[in-house]
Amino acid sequence: MVVVCGHSLSCFPSPSEVCGLSMIRFERVSKRYPGGVQALSDVSFHLESGEMAFLTGHSGAGKSTLLRLIALLDRASRGQVFLQGRNLANIPRRKLPLLRRSVGVIFQDHKLLSDKTVFDNVALPLLIAGWRYQEISKRVRAALDQVDLLRKERVMPVSLSGGEQQRVGIARAIVSNPPVLLADEPTGNLDPDLSADLMTLFCRLNELGTTVLIASHDIALIQRLQRRVLVLEQGKILNQEAAGSLG
Amino acid sequence: MATVERKSQGSLNLGLRAWGTRHVYSFFSSIGTLLRSPLGTLMTVAVLGIAMALPLGLWVALKNLQQVNPAAEDISTISVFLNAGAKQAKVDKLAAEINAWPEVESLKALSPEEALADFRKNSGFAAAVDALADNPLPWVFELKLQAVDIKLESHNETVAQQIERLLIRLESFPEIDFAQYDLQWLERLQAIMGLGATISRILAILFGFAVIFVVGNTIRLDIQNRREEIEVMSLVGATEAFIRRPFLYTGFWYGLLGGLVALTLVSLSLALIGGPLERLLLSYQSDFQLLLPGINGSLLVLVGGGLLGLFGGALAVRRHLNNLNPG
Ligand SMILES: Nc1ncnc2c1ncn2[C@@H]1O[C@H](COP(=O)(O)OP(=O)(O)OP(=O)(O)O)[C@@H](O)[C@H]1O
Ligand SMILES: [Mg+2]
Repeated sequence: MVVVCGHSLSCFPSPSEVCGLSMIRFERVSKRYPGGVQALSDVSFHLESGEMAFLTGHSGAGKSTLLRLIALLDRASRGQVFLQGRNLANIPRRKLPLLRRSVGVIFQDHKLLSDKTVFDNVALPLLIAGWRYQEISKRVRAALDQVDLLRKERVMPVSLSGGEQQRVGIARAIVSNPPVLLADEPTGNLDPDLSADLMTLFCRLNELGTTVLIASHDIALIQRLQRRVLVLEQGKILNQEAAGSLG
Repeated sequence: MATVERKSQGSLNLGLRAWGTRHVYSFFSSIGTLLRSPLGTLMTVAVLGIAMALPLGLWVALKNLQQVNPAAEDISTISVFLNAGAKQAKVDKLAAEINAWPEVESLKALSPEEALADFRKNSGFAAAVDALADNPLPWVFELKLQAVDIKLESHNETVAQQIERLLIRLESFPEIDFAQYDLQWLERLQAIMGLGATISRILAILFGFAVIFVVGNTIRLDIQNRREEIEVMSLVGATEAFIRRPFLYTGFWYGLLGGLVALTLVSLSLALIGGPLERLLLSYQSDFQLLLPGINGSLLVLVGGGLLGLFGGALAVRRHLNNLNPG
């Protein structure tokens, strides 16, 4: 098998996955919502294991929809989505939650629990997976430390700023160290300094082998990072180009 | 080979631990739900307790009434009235014959004089009795029967029938005018207790459904209030079982606490009416003792209540926590 990696640093194979195996693959995927909106049409692309890429496009272009299909939060209307080589159309409904745990998602609207502390919010994926409490608190603190929120672990999300809430969502997405990380507008509420810090964090995770896909409007940021960019327009993939040629 | 075995052993332990951790989570999560709105919880539990207290109370009352064994005292006595003017010798012979019957424990013969003296003493009509020229009373035998227990079982029919047969046999003697046993009292008591048992069963079924529906509705509201939490848990990979479990636990707690309230209510009521009731019943019978639900009964109520609550929770969860995942 010929193994080609996007760049050398991304090749940090964990035991279960072989570098260069496609982690995410879309084959002629369409998504039509029950209301009749055609959110995605005939989308094909693939991301290799350990790759980091951006997804951009106008508001309503279908970025969130595409991420939801990867995260198994929705099913494609037509075409096939593969995650780690598995065709998601063939995964029975009751197996979805287990597979979902291998995908960390940072949601555009945070999706935090308002009646739980920051610590408990971040601990949720580990609780669900049945981790031991000592291990949970160690990992939650490590994740909060990475987004610089360790001081706020006992605080309720309502008393956090928008950017801080976003970072809690990020900590929750990375706490269980999933092989795939999806981020939907992760820098939407962050100032330039924090955005840059966050991108550094994503790059570090990517260097450790995580496959990262980031939906973003922030062209400047995308251009700086020199990764592959998928451009969506009205549900179609326009081109897949290097960030340098954008704009 | 050995390493493979060790590894699978390890993953089994890990699996068990994860299972345990998740159950601990559900356990505390369900208790947290109950404590989050203590007033609402209290009201629900009170409603459940009252609903369960009704059949339970009736059942305990019946258990107490069953102790009242009417055959043990007055009721086990048949009064046999002889024809007026029966001769002493004939009376003695008859008394000896009847006394030998296996159903008869003892026989006490009252002469007309003794009967009159008795009546004079007990009736309060002493002056009227003194005014009588003649003694109008006949000889009376008081037969004490071998102890017959009156319970709610079907073979009681035969107890009543046996007594009926005995009466007919007694009345077939020419010297005997009539024999009397307050069968109606016995039959009525049996009928009332049988009715009570049926009613308590019907109530138990009806209020069992009430418990299921009250718990089901409470859990339904709880599910609606926590849509957001349920959605987020599902987003980060919770299985449906994991999301459902705290609600099932909550249903179980509701039922269990309701049972506890019902037991408390019934015990308190018994304590309140116990004193007067005991005095009343002791005048009939010397060995009456107030019966509480008991350990078995209490366990039945608690476990039964818990299971009904669990069932109510399961209904709500089935109806309102479906299709968390896309088809
Ligand atoms: N649940 C839904 N039901 C019906 N239509 C939907 C649903 N979610 C999204 N859509 C529609 O699908 C299209 C794509 O939406 P999507 O959220 O994927 O866009 P987006 O690229 O993420 O936009 P933004 O940058 O504003 O977040 C939009 O036209 C939207 O109205
Ligand atoms: Mg979006």
